[in-house]
Amino acid sequence: MATKVVDAAGEPIPTSSVLMSSAKHIEIKCMSENVEFLKCKKKDPNPEKCLDKGRQATRCALGVLKDLYQRCKDPMEAYVGCMYYHTNEFDLCRKEQQAFEKACPLD
Amino acid sequence: MTESVIRNKPGMASVKDMPILQDGPPPGGFAPVRYARRIPNKGPSAVAIFLAAFGAFSYGMYQVGKGNKIRRALKEEKYAARRAILPVLQAEEDERFVKEWKKYLEYEAEVMKDVPGWKVGENVYNSGRWMPPATGELRPEVW
Repeated sequence: MATKVVDAAGEPIPTSSVLMSSAKHIEIKCMSENVEFLKCKKKDPNPEKCLDKGRQATRCALGVLKDLYQRCKDPMEAYVGCMYYHTNEFDLCRKEQQAFEKACPLD
Repeated sequence: MTESVIRNKPGMASVKDMPILQDGPPPGGFAPVRYARRIPNKGPSAVAIFLAAFGAFSYGMYQVGKGNKIRRALKEEKYAARRAILPVLQAEEDERFVKEWKKYLEYEAEVMKDVPGWKVGENVYNSGRWMPPATGELRPEVW
């Protein structure tokens, strides 16, 4: 139910367990977009001023999710299911995390 | 009558000659009883006890430190994950907020269109920074 990574059209669903599972990949691959967004926010907290950078960051993160799902579907689904069950507690999902990072290694 | 039967000595002339029947010590007296203190003075010295306690304490604190390092690493992992996905969530919320804010500004313009001198649109503080609207509600459509 909430453990599905993509919806019917193949677009990734950014639930908390999906995002936390792929957080390490997002951190590495979307570092520049995230940093730009945070710098923009620091300069001016007005949401209207940082909409485009926010869109870039979201696009990057969703791209990472889709790419991960295409490259290693089963380990990712197992890991997301485990995180959903244990409410995003990393320490309780070490086995699935190892399997996921072996299948889709961090660069 | 029974006394004379018990303490009978053959050949006694009268009751006054009965032998004495007393409860007393056995012949030769009792064995000697030790009542002197014998507290031994061996075992660990004060310095040894102190060092053992200090050693146990420092070993325990060392284990505590090791455990704290592990726990801090786990917490850092969680915080790093949260930091990584923060921009995605903030961008989502920004989009939603901008939509709602535009609707609110239109509503304000319509309500205040007959009031002279009302600078329709924004009417926030004078410092120049953007402040979030202070309605007291976080998500009006949820509450």
